[in-house]
Amino acid sequence: MKVKESAFIKHNKPVLKKLLERLLKQYPYVSILATDSTAKSYSVSRCNTMISENGMLSERGFAVKISDGKHYAEYSFNRIAEELLDEICENIRQIAASSKQAVPEGISENEYPIPEETQTIFSASTEYEIDPEELGDDVIIEKLARIKDRGLASSDKILDCTVRCNYQKYSKLFLSGHKDLEQNVMWMTGGISLAAPRGEEIKSYYKSYSNLGGAEVLEQMQHDVEQCSQITLELLNSEPMIPGEYDCICAPDVTGMIVHEAFGHGVEMDMFVKKRALAEKYVGGYVASELVTMHDGASAASQTATYFFDDEGTMAHDTIVIEKGILKQGISDLQSAIVLGTVPTGNGRRQGYDRKAYTRMTNTYFEGGTHTKEEMIASVSYGFLLENASSGMEDPKNWGIQCMVNIAREIRDGKLTGKIFSPIVLTGYVPDLLKSISMMSEEVILGGGGFCGKGYKEWVKVSDGGPYIKAKIRLG
Amino acid sequence: MINQIIEILGQLGISDYSITEKTTQSMECFFIRRNLDLKRSTNLLVYMVTVFHPFETKEKDSHETKKLLGSSFVQLYPGMEAAEIKKALLSAYNAASFVANPWYEMVSGTKQECVLSSSDLAKKDLKDTMKEMADALFASDIHSDVFINSAEVFAARTMRHIVNSRGVDVCYETVEVNGEYVVQCISPQDVETYHHFSYRDLDTDALRRDVEEALDMTSARAKATDAPKAGTYRVILSGEQMYTFLQYYMDRSDSSLIYQKYSGYQTGMQVQGDRIQGDLLTMVLKARDPYSGEGIPMKDRVLLENGTLRTIHGGSRFAYYLGIEPTGGYDCISVPVGNLELSEMKKSPYLHIVSFSDFQMNSFSGHFGGEIRLAYLWDGTALTPVTGGSINGSIMKVQENMICSKERYKSGKYEGPFAVSLEGIQVAGV
Repeated sequence: MKVKESAFIKHNKPVLKKLLERLLKQYPYVSILATDSTAKSYSVSRCNTMISENGMLSERGFAVKISDGKHYAEYSFNRIAEELLDEICENIRQIAASSKQAVPEGISENEYPIPEETQTIFSASTEYEIDPEELGDDVIIEKLARIKDRGLASSDKILDCTVRCNYQKYSKLFLSGHKDLEQNVMWMTGGISLAAPRGEEIKSYYKSYSNLGGAEVLEQMQHDVEQCSQITLELLNSEPMIPGEYDCICAPDVTGMIVHEAFGHGVEMDMFVKKRALAEKYVGGYVASELVTMHDGASAASQTATYFFDDEGTMAHDTIVIEKGILKQGISDLQSAIVLGTVPTGNGRRQGYDRKAYTRMTNTYFEGGTHTKEEMIASVSYGFLLENASSGMEDPKNWGIQCMVNIAREIRDGKLTGKIFSPIVLTGYVPDLLKSISMMSEEVILGGGGFCGKGYKEWVKVSDGGPYIKAKIRLG
Repeated sequence: MINQIIEILGQLGISDYSITEKTTQSMECFFIRRNLDLKRSTNLLVYMVTVFHPFETKEKDSHETKKLLGSSFVQLYPGMEAAEIKKALLSAYNAASFVANPWYEMVSGTKQECVLSSSDLAKKDLKDTMKEMADALFASDIHSDVFINSAEVFAARTMRHIVNSRGVDVCYETVEVNGEYVVQCISPQDVETYHHFSYRDLDTDALRRDVEEALDMTSARAKATDAPKAGTYRVILSGEQMYTFLQYYMDRSDSSLIYQKYSGYQTGMQVQGDRIQGDLLTMVLKARDPYSGEGIPMKDRVLLENGTLRTIHGGSRFAYYLGIEPTGGYDCISVPVGNLELSEMKKSPYLHIVSFSDFQMNSFSGHFGGEIRLAYLWDGTALTPVTGGSINGSIMKVQENMICSKERYKSGKYEGPFAVSLEGIQVAGV
């Protein structure tokens, strides 16, 4: 079934078109983004239950962007009615004219041409099998509670088992002089986390699930809780990592974090505009092993960051960032593409209608290779299988890597020894790591359980992943 | 619209609720080098409603009934029709009936005078604030080899009005300016460092000083080329990392973690261990806002006194379960400075990490770590700037011996010692 359009957007589209017409009489470029998003979160644990709307993802409002032919300004608001149009237009006029009042002497203003647009009328919706709203809060919480109960019953060493799921159903309308675009999208994610004490220390393990769709994700979550519990108990015997550079096999979630943090952020082309990305100098050159082909795009995969057009009205792309080790191109929002003279790739995303659009990743992954996970482990004389990525931080300027990983399983003479180390800080220099990739599995897995920040803010839903990869990595 | 929401709640028979009306006006400027790239303003209004649903359940294998109180949160927006508001509230009330949490006492209160911000920021128009802060931001940006690459400045005025079904009716204003900037140094190598700021006063001098330090730090980062050798070091953390490091104690004393047994903290407990040879920590939770999100009046509270836990903090629900006073949530701390001057702290070999890619503290496990962007290594004979590699430590292993500096550091959420010395930290390097 297809996600339905928003009654709120449908009701307000005529007045938004009137606003657009009025503004187009004053400014050569005007766009309006309208969003209506409902997001709900569910969680059960040993002594806590929660069903609530997700405050960060639920929203209803508008972002107007205008250009006077040289300078851009934006106004975000969430009250709309025909009788408010004068006030809205006046607020837009004030921000457009505010440069001299708000900026000290000696600071000039960048000038950009207006974007070239072609006439486009578009409307589409993603599909789902089970609507979580129709399924009902009681059924969802019961399904989660059953998993939680199994997790708690799996061992008396388990302190807690938290099972959660979230969905977002959003509709967006993008209007400009030449565009009238509508989309309706739904994704749903889930997660199981278990915790066990080792003295004062709490060891924990987390497994996430995601889809572009609806409550069918709950079915995927039914089968793993005992295995998650087992891994949590294994962590009670983990040891601190002995720092060094090792042959590592990265599980797809760790590959995804490397793809996303180590390289993806570095090819966000608003960083090229600011001269903050080393990648700009390497376009056309080898940056990775010839085994590596990397994609990013809202249409590159069917996952939580899939959409039809971005928040600046650019249609979704499947961008090949690295092809057989050669950096082909970056990903871009509209304004960066104007500055750089490139084609925008549909990566202009806002955290919400009340925030600025930046170049952001979507579904980002490495293509698969030809080996199996077992062959890859067998090829390691001494090293680690890295699993359960938890967080990372980008460094586009200097191509440093920081990824936090929960589990390193020791490999000796091609076999897992059963010994595990935790937690792990994975560091290094991006090209060194990517060029050291010597094997990739055929199997490719993407996960969309997390969010991506630009620095420490501007959270957007992303997915990332890839195959198992073998590489040389510094662990600490 | 608050009255309309209360009226509809009454029609639906929902007697327990909390409503927060949040109004925000902001002005935002985005700079690339010394050029304004984009200007934005926002004008937003949202209603955040929590509905409570009391119900009972029969205990398993017993005739006893147990009182429960479910709750669910929903956002409402201006312009919503009454029918849509009704549907959203009813849906939340229905959801709350499946939230089988033990019953607890909601926050009660009375109508209070609105607390308006008395800061000098509040007296200014957002555009004027933007101009003065942008002026301070770029005041020291006068060099050709080290400069502000890009910056974002956000000035916002927010009014929150909280009412609930137990008499709470409070209102307060916050005016703040925050932002971030990236400093780039192009010689001898091209590097950058990230910085952020947050002020509730028009503290242009503080921003000017922060930028000057950031320019100096980035110049030093440009001279660092090698990672430290792998091994065990006495590590000095400083500046922003102090808040992240000490946040462990805030998290561990949170009532929700204690009730759920993720933390074993109890008031009166010595939390730093049994064999303390370093500094005994005293920490004060600082109230930044006059009321919590539930409408609890906020005040400064002693969290730790010489290493002993004095306060378990948190909202009404877990406080009720633990039988303690609800305090509201805190995110600011103040810590008295130590007795050792930084120059004394640096007399024996150390690795002073001044910048990480992303310094992290896991309050469940006590592990902390991150990749080193810039550190100074003193091996007893030479001082070397280093970059790369990472640290991985456990606060449980270092808290008995940590030493705080006499020098003070202040940022948006932290005031206290500038630095802390930690023994025996594992460093992954070359």
